[in-house]
Amino acid sequence: MKISYAWLKEYVNLNLDPEELAGCLNQIGLMVETVVKYEDDTVCEIETYANRPDTLGHLGVARELATLLGLSLKTRNWPLRELSRTTSELIDINILDPQLCPRYCGLVVKGVKVGPSPDWLKKRLEAVGLRPINNVVDISNYVCFSLGQPIHTFDLSKLRGNKIKIRKARKGETIRTLEGETVELDPEMLVIADETTPVAIAGVIGGEESGITESTTDVFIESANFNPVSIRLTAKKLGLSTDASYRFERGADPNAAPTAAVMAASLLCEFGGRVSKGLLDVYPAPRKPRAVSLRLRRINELLGLEIEPEFVVKTLTGLGLKLREQSPQIWTVEIPSFRVDLEREADLVEEVARFYGYDLIPSVMTPVKSFELPVDRRRERVWRLKEVLFHHGFDEVINFSFADPEKEQLWQTGCRPIQLQNPISARLSTLRTSLLPGLVENAVWNFNREAEGVHIFEVGNIYYWEQEETHRENLNLGILTTGLRSGRTWKEGEMETDFFVLKGAVEDICNYLGYEQISFEPIEHPFFESGQALKVLVRNEPVGYLGLLNRNLARSYDLERPAFCAELDLNELLRKQPRVFSFQPVPRYPGTSRDLSFLVDDSLTYQEIQQHLQKLNIPCLENFLIYDRFQGKTLPPGKVSFSVRFYFRHSTRTLQTEEVDRAMQEITSQLKSTLKIQLR
Amino acid sequence: MSSLLEKIEHCRRLFADQESRVKEAQGVEELRQLFLGRKKGHLTLLFEELKTLSPEEKKSAGRTLNELKAEIQNRLAELEQKFQTPVRQKLIDDLTLPGRQLYWGAPHPITLFQREIEKIFTAMGFSVEEGPEIETDYYNFEALNFPPHHPARDSWDTLYINDQLLLRTHTSPVQIRVMKKKKPPLRIIIPGKVFRRETPDPTHLPMFYQVEGLVVDKGITFAHLKGTLEFFIKALFGEKIKLRFRPSFFPFTEPSAEVDIECIVCGGQDPACRVCGGSGWKEILGAGMVDPQVFKNVNIDPEVYSGWAFGLGIDRTAMFAFQIPEIRHFYENDLRFLRQFNRR
Repeated sequence: MKISYAWLKEYVNLNLDPEELAGCLNQIGLMVETVVKYEDDTVCEIETYANRPDTLGHLGVARELATLLGLSLKTRNWPLRELSRTTSELIDINILDPQLCPRYCGLVVKGVKVGPSPDWLKKRLEAVGLRPINNVVDISNYVCFSLGQPIHTFDLSKLRGNKIKIRKARKGETIRTLEGETVELDPEMLVIADETTPVAIAGVIGGEESGITESTTDVFIESANFNPVSIRLTAKKLGLSTDASYRFERGADPNAAPTAAVMAASLLCEFGGRVSKGLLDVYPAPRKPRAVSLRLRRINELLGLEIEPEFVVKTLTGLGLKLREQSPQIWTVEIPSFRVDLEREADLVEEVARFYGYDLIPSVMTPVKSFELPVDRRRERVWRLKEVLFHHGFDEVINFSFADPEKEQLWQTGCRPIQLQNPISARLSTLRTSLLPGLVENAVWNFNREAEGVHIFEVGNIYYWEQEETHRENLNLGILTTGLRSGRTWKEGEMETDFFVLKGAVEDICNYLGYEQISFEPIEHPFFESGQALKVLVRNEPVGYLGLLNRNLARSYDLERPAFCAELDLNELLRKQPRVFSFQPVPRYPGTSRDLSFLVDDSLTYQEIQQHLQKLNIPCLENFLIYDRFQGKTLPPGKVSFSVRFYFRHSTRTLQTEEVDRAMQEITSQLKSTLKIQLR
Repeated sequence: MSSLLEKIEHCRRLFADQESRVKEAQGVEELRQLFLGRKKGHLTLLFEELKTLSPEEKKSAGRTLNELKAEIQNRLAELEQKFQTPVRQKLIDDLTLPGRQLYWGAPHPITLFQREIEKIFTAMGFSVEEGPEIETDYYNFEALNFPPHHPARDSWDTLYINDQLLLRTHTSPVQIRVMKKKKPPLRIIIPGKVFRRETPDPTHLPMFYQVEGLVVDKGITFAHLKGTLEFFIKALFGEKIKLRFRPSFFPFTEPSAEVDIECIVCGGQDPACRVCGGSGWKEILGAGMVDPQVFKNVNIDPEVYSGWAFGLGIDRTAMFAFQIPEIRHFYENDLRFLRQFNRR
């Protein structure tokens, strides 16, 4: 909201340069965003808060500054040139819904000459960014931006039956607004109607038909108070936000209504107007002032201060609150109707703090009375996992949780996607059900920008409907590797990435996080090329899959290079108990190794051979390593050759050659029966 | 015919002579072959000859011959040792060629910055909590003292899934979840992803990261909030950074504050500064004393306990700290951007 320094001076005798003014406003929380000169005036754009409608007028801001600076507010008089007829003789006001319209004040001003405003008025409005229109409209704005109370002016002659009815709209009723648009009203909306038809949407916008024109002479001034929620719902539904609705939805002061009506009438008197006798004020259930109890002890407890009671009294009184000392240093505080935000003791503590100055409150470290060790080591494990991937040369990315439903559909994730009710755009209208589409887009983005290889991962949630009405968000890990793994150097040529780069990373995650018994099973999955994907299992339970990205999917993203991707369910993986670390004694006696090369049927996989080797029961066999796999024309058809190195060690002595020879014979004979190996 | 003993003596001299000519490991091996070779070694031949002698001659000549053998073996071992040490390697032609460097992947800058923040707070005894990204209106708004249909909700423009579910607009609902689950004292931070219905532009995105802090205990004051946040900001931006607290409004804190730090880009010197708009200050976080209504909503007695909370946008703070001009960089995932962060 824009605040004019000259306008403020109508309410308080200020003597500040622009910098001091901004400093004062900042201290009390009316944050100054910009300060500009307008002719001989200074205009501050200030940040206002949803709970402070009183600062939406110059009077409210002046009251804050007067309190801060220890000045008093000026009282302004609004003399009227009165008609002999009373207001009620000229207009009949009837509130049919007092819930939605607690108070309605009206005055009639006859004989107004509609025309341009005088320079002083134009200048005020222009300073705060309002466009002068004519004296009647400008006066409405002037009153609104002075008091924060919106008023509306009607052409009295256009009000059928000289009646004002405040009622809900009827089904099918429409109104052409001052903005020239015809709006359909619905029965939840409050309207101002004359005898027959709505003439304004209450608290939001007036109707064109009853508006002030060049030919208007008799003006009806409305100054009312409306229910904030009702105004907000109406304004939202109509997609309209006006200066009036903005104030009413934050809660206008019902006691400002009569003042604003008189102020407007008085100003209209300067343009030939004469005012009906007696303000017509319909206020069926006057609101009782709120009272809040305030303890000095509580102020000090919450702020960490020793504050003087005199300061509390002076500040709150300056803000228009009435304090009555209940018992020593405990007050009953009566809250003025314009402060809708002050309801509890804590609210008053904030008032004291604001004017005391946040900068003067001491800074003290929060004392620690107890420490808590993390119960859940999940976060630590996620970071460890990221470290493993950094080590493998993968960069971390973060993608939006939103997805384009058309693209997402191609992936056939098997998860029912969650749609947004009010998305920003169609492309961001569902939540992702897999991390891989994002990673593929990242790969394409980077290939289009001179990257030769993309090796990335993301840790983040996917979202889906688990059942009807049951949503699920699940932490996943996505990994993608495509293109060159490393570029040419003087020592080595460039290297293309492959499936085993990806698989090694997945295996190492399990290795370094202590998840034992990792295994793989071939699967067919829509993400991957047929026969080129594996399911990842830990302790025989599936935790994800990896493979060569399906060619058609890749093509739909214009990704030309083969890409290898994995997606792991981290909720599932991190739930598993990792191996408990325990120290193993370092061997004291030398070990020895023997190699064995053999042929087996080429239908046997590495994993099957490894599982058989693990089952070998041979004393002193410490470990083994399958270090070669070979298939070629030199071998008999249907055969594949494997080479295994076996490591032997005895824990309490050096092994004898003969023992190792015997162990190798035993291994060979066992493998002959289990794997049908042929020695090479 | 010279006696065997003479031959042995000759052989000893021959070895001494040959030995002095050996200059490298290969020479040692040749020497070994020459004297101890299995078929034609000088010593081997002498042992053959020994077999032809009579028992008495054999005894004395045998001892001398064995002594020589031991002596030669010792010398050979010594020589081997001598020449073995520098196993001659090929000399490197150009030492200025680059070494073999390993590429380490880069953490995402948000992860990096989030961890820096977490480290500062965990050092102060805070623990880290998390919560769901899909929330209910109750946790995201109502329990945090946002009345239904209140304009205060406008600053938290929300993406809805249906009438009950929404994408959390801040990490604050986790405050409620933790306070419902655990008894004070509490000392936690809550980092996480949040969502707003914002059209993307250089400083706004529909998704970003926040970190929330919450302390609840007996006797917690606004002075504690100030002291702890000042320490935090100085730990993050350096001891010399200037900061100010000013009043603000959040439905879930009372009194509420916003914290500005001095603009590290222009230092308040540039009236057209893109970062601070010439004010010299940059808004960095919102904070305040936990609102008594929030405590009531989670059955904590506000007369017994008090607390403070803060919330900070990780993206915006990282942008400011690293002087990144556009928030969009964070989610484009351009490797030329991301890879800069493994050098920090």
